[in-house]
Amino acid sequence: MSVYKHEYRAYTGPLTPLWARVGVIVRYAFAEAWSTRITATLFTLSVAPVIVYLVGIYLANNQLARTLIMRGSPMLTIDAGYFLKVLETQSWLALVLAAWIAPRLVSFDLADNALPILLSHPISRFGYVLGKLLALFACLSLVTWIPCLLLFAFQGYSSAQPWVMANLRIAGGVLASSLLWIAFLSILGLALSSWVKWRVVATGIIFAVVFVPAGIGGIITGILRTKWGFLLNAPVMMTQLWQRILGAPPTMQGDLYLPSTAIVTVLLLVCAACVLMLNARIRAREVVRG
Amino acid sequence: MNPMNDRILFENVSKFYGEVLGVNRVSLSIAPGVSTIVGPNGSGKTTLMNLMTGLVQPSSGRVSVLGLTPADADRFFRQVGYCTQFDSFPRRLTGMDFLMDALLLHGMSESEAFRLAREAMERVRLSDDAAGRRIEGYSKGMRQKIRLAQAIAHHPHVLVLDEPLNGLDPMARAESLALFQELSRQGMHLIISSHILDEVDRISDRVILITGGYIVAEGDIHQVRREVRDKPLQVLIRCDQPERLASRMFTDNHCVEARLHPDGRGVFLRTGDIDEFYRLLNAIAVEGLVQIEAVAPADDDTRAIYQYLIGSDGSPS
Repeated sequence: MSVYKHEYRAYTGPLTPLWARVGVIVRYAFAEAWSTRITATLFTLSVAPVIVYLVGIYLANNQLARTLIMRGSPMLTIDAGYFLKVLETQSWLALVLAAWIAPRLVSFDLADNALPILLSHPISRFGYVLGKLLALFACLSLVTWIPCLLLFAFQGYSSAQPWVMANLRIAGGVLASSLLWIAFLSILGLALSSWVKWRVVATGIIFAVVFVPAGIGGIITGILRTKWGFLLNAPVMMTQLWQRILGAPPTMQGDLYLPSTAIVTVLLLVCAACVLMLNARIRAREVVRG
Repeated sequence: MNPMNDRILFENVSKFYGEVLGVNRVSLSIAPGVSTIVGPNGSGKTTLMNLMTGLVQPSSGRVSVLGLTPADADRFFRQVGYCTQFDSFPRRLTGMDFLMDALLLHGMSESEAFRLAREAMERVRLSDDAAGRRIEGYSKGMRQKIRLAQAIAHHPHVLVLDEPLNGLDPMARAESLALFQELSRQGMHLIISSHILDEVDRISDRVILITGGYIVAEGDIHQVRREVRDKPLQVLIRCDQPERLASRMFTDNHCVEARLHPDGRGVFLRTGDIDEFYRLLNAIAVEGLVQIEAVAPADDDTRAIYQYLIGSDGSPS
């Protein structure tokens, strides 16, 4: 009879690179985001306006259809102003989607106390937040810059003139504006969600943080007759920024326009506050002793 | 190889959560084998475990595990497996998904992760049926097992188990203890915190007693007991005439307390000087005054040490 001594043997096989491990968090967050029908419904509703804008582009480029359907209405122009409207619509729908998805990505892990398990793997807090951020970013991309650029491509294809090269600034502007907005929304959504364990409350707080200061900003602007109140008003502030990036014609009186540096500073300050909030909350432990 | 590289080292480590003390000035050198961390609630056990798993950074001092620090995350976390005390998991995952995700986070390929996940499931005796079910539907014992499987799946060298026996039925507890012993025999470090002192006592090589964030004792349990000199040691002596033995011990002033064993065939004797006590006992045995069948220490287990050093209310004695 033989006696076999079983020695402990550590795993010595190949390992995937670090980015692939962040990918695990992204995949897991993506699955969580799309595990409910409400996400799919919101996504479908977010795509509906794109179809309307698509029809608009079709009509603008098809004289016969325009004559039949619009019956002599003024000519629809596809320009920076048109794409600004598309961008505005999609961006505010992205807010709704972010308010729904972001709490699912973080609040559940906090409520379930799952962070100690996740962070006892070779993934840092930064990697964890980055994974969640990328998942949310990808979800919001589906309703912002991707459909906007598809519309741009369709307009380029449908236009009789060489439209694309003459309007490349619109494509670049749409892309830059969307990326700016969804990056801002993603970090804001995750930061707020990390402080609230109840998902529904977190959703409400995300809306509140965008619209309550906007109301206060409106009051300040109205009473003090100053444009600086708009710095609290995200819808106005973002519209002004997007107009400049796309090169769209102004829609407000000139003296109500905020300097771009002021707008960017406010956005950066909010992002910095969000990073601090995430740093304080995304930890492997609470003060639990024993 | 540096001989200290097979140890878990705490060098004057303190951890404060704001104004709350986690642990204070802890210096430990933990050798391979089973070490048990024992202390009342809020004593700093979990903080100690979080420090050695890199989940929290010390406020001062240095922690290294097998010569590695958490700064070298890739190699550090490959060596460490952690089973937390929290009965909580990422939502909507099946047991298999949970293990797969954990292994993918460790950097294994899909096929390797699947193989290791199956192996871990087998080791903790969770069935294939359980692997495909969502963890929300698991019993408390199964949840404990899947956490343990997650901790051992990537073949770590150091296994840190926070209350791993909680919620397990006696059968599952015995299985877990057998698994811990097997892993320890294979040269692994096992750091266990538990309140089930009797069972942990059976497999522990050493004990770390902690209260109020301070280490009050550390080392081999019998040695620790011997060092607690202000508490008289209790010895059970099996013999044919226990009353006579007790009387002789009292006469020679080597006994402070005697209690007959319920079956009448032994006596528990308490002494303040164990070396002198054993010398006298030898003399009595040689004299043939009583027939001594067995002699065994009766209070050098973890429970007794815990009561002597920490007290039932958790305050240092």
